[in-house]
Amino acid sequence: MTDMNTQLLDAVDPEIMSAVGARANEIAQGASASSKLVAALALGSIPIALGAISRDVYGQAPSDVLDVLQFALTLEYLEADFYQRGNAATGLIPSTDATIFTTISAHETTHVTALQSLISGKGATPGTKPAFDYTANGNLPGFGFLPTQYATFLAVAQAFEDTGVRAYKGQAGRLINDKAALTAALTIHSVEARHAAEVRRLRGNKGWITLASRDTLPAFTQGVYDGEDNVTQAGVNLSTIAASNGGASGASEAFDEPLTKQQVIDIVKAFIPALR
Amino acid sequence: MDGTRHDGGKSVTIGSIGELNAFTSRRGFMRLMGLGGALVLLPSIVTACDDNNDGIGLGVPNSGATVTIDFAKGDTAVLQFAYALEQLEADFYTQVAANFGGSNLSAAEQAVLADIKNHEVIHRDFLKAALGSNASFSLTPTYGSLNFKDRTAVLGAARTFEDLGVAAYNGAAQYISDVNNLLVAGKIVSVEARHASAIRDLIAPKSGEFAPQAFDDAFYPGKVAASAQGFIVDKLAFANAPTSSAFVQGPNKNGV
Repeated sequence: MTDMNTQLLDAVDPEIMSAVGARANEIAQGASASSKLVAALALGSIPIALGAISRDVYGQAPSDVLDVLQFALTLEYLEADFYQRGNAATGLIPSTDATIFTTISAHETTHVTALQSLISGKGATPGTKPAFDYTANGNLPGFGFLPTQYATFLAVAQAFEDTGVRAYKGQAGRLINDKAALTAALTIHSVEARHAAEVRRLRGNKGWITLASRDTLPAFTQGVYDGEDNVTQAGVNLSTIAASNGGASGASEAFDEPLTKQQVIDIVKAFIPALR
Repeated sequence: MDGTRHDGGKSVTIGSIGELNAFTSRRGFMRLMGLGGALVLLPSIVTACDDNNDGIGLGVPNSGATVTIDFAKGDTAVLQFAYALEQLEADFYTQVAANFGGSNLSAAEQAVLADIKNHEVIHRDFLKAALGSNASFSLTPTYGSLNFKDRTAVLGAARTFEDLGVAAYNGAAQYISDVNNLLVAGKIVSVEARHASAIRDLIAPKSGEFAPQAFDDAFYPGKVAASAQGFIVDKLAFANAPTSSAFVQGPNKNGV
């Protein structure tokens, strides 16, 4: 290794160098990689390899992973704030349901902290908590966590949780080359699904989403459920498979669908003025 | 090893392949075997019947043998691993649904379990279709003395299966290289998590049990197999599996 390489290495984030080393080993063992990266590693040129590998190790680019994490953080800020306000509101949540929401609230707050740490660990600055509009840009006029508004609180909770599941699912592919971020995101993703099922059942719905039904949620939330009626997975049309197992309803329930980042933004911007 | 199986005082001697094939159904064979424990077959018998070349150690039909998932197959291996687990889940809930008569599960609980049965059968059959020729293995589940008409027993086992399913998909995702396969796994795992939540809420309504951790488990495949093995007559084995020391832990760090 040249002196220039050594100096460069000293200046590089140890986490990145660890990723470079691990990735170089994978490639040496036959893993697929871009031709640019293979050429750079073959040359023994760390500066050239770093440029190529940063895109390789972290997906499209490190900024891509950071974008996912910052986006997830925004959603978790919203959920955490919502439940904190709900739990703090006198007379809103019946005592019979209190444990459910203190549990969910604690999780969302933990998710916020974890995402902030992940982002900081990559040398970036976590985004700050935005301002929220719980009237949903006028769709929930007068909503303010009042004692008479528990039904609305539950409806919003269901919309947030079902959206959260679809949002993480839609972003997972962008984390595919950053296994730590991917695993963290997935272990949050499935917890959001547990939350979603609990809130849905509390509202008298099934824990899973049937077709593209928003159940009794207000019409402005339909985007949370659009596309959930998909019954073709990985090119396999499930109609025959599901025929005696719930039909199209069963097939749609058996698979949750992703949302793109823009689709999620279009849903949550009602609650986050900064995204409008 | 002499081809004789000892199980709770009973023993069955497998004399020939023909005797094994004589059992007309897997269920019938399991009844004969008394349920529970691992079936040990002579390696020569297993080898003799493994006449396909898809990397799966296919055992004697209607019995059980070593089923090997070869991680050299990449994403296919991960989907095979999922297929193995979904076979187990689908079979479990099919048995649950078949035992609703005389069960002390409430009608509402039966409705939840009937839905889950549909989902798991669809997952299994979807993976079978997606895997095509790589799906040519069939596991034989076993549930020991589990009483399928007993609410507590059924819900307890269901909770185990669902939590394990979530941890399995979450942990195996890191071995997937194609984003489309990752997405399919993601589409399934959140439904498994919804199941886990519902089952847990049936067991302990309105407690914090539906989501006992802020981060779900993400288990190394070997850890999943060790838990699942107790419910599978066949020997679930891995070849060319990544080492547990290279497993990337989730935030709760209990994956290996």
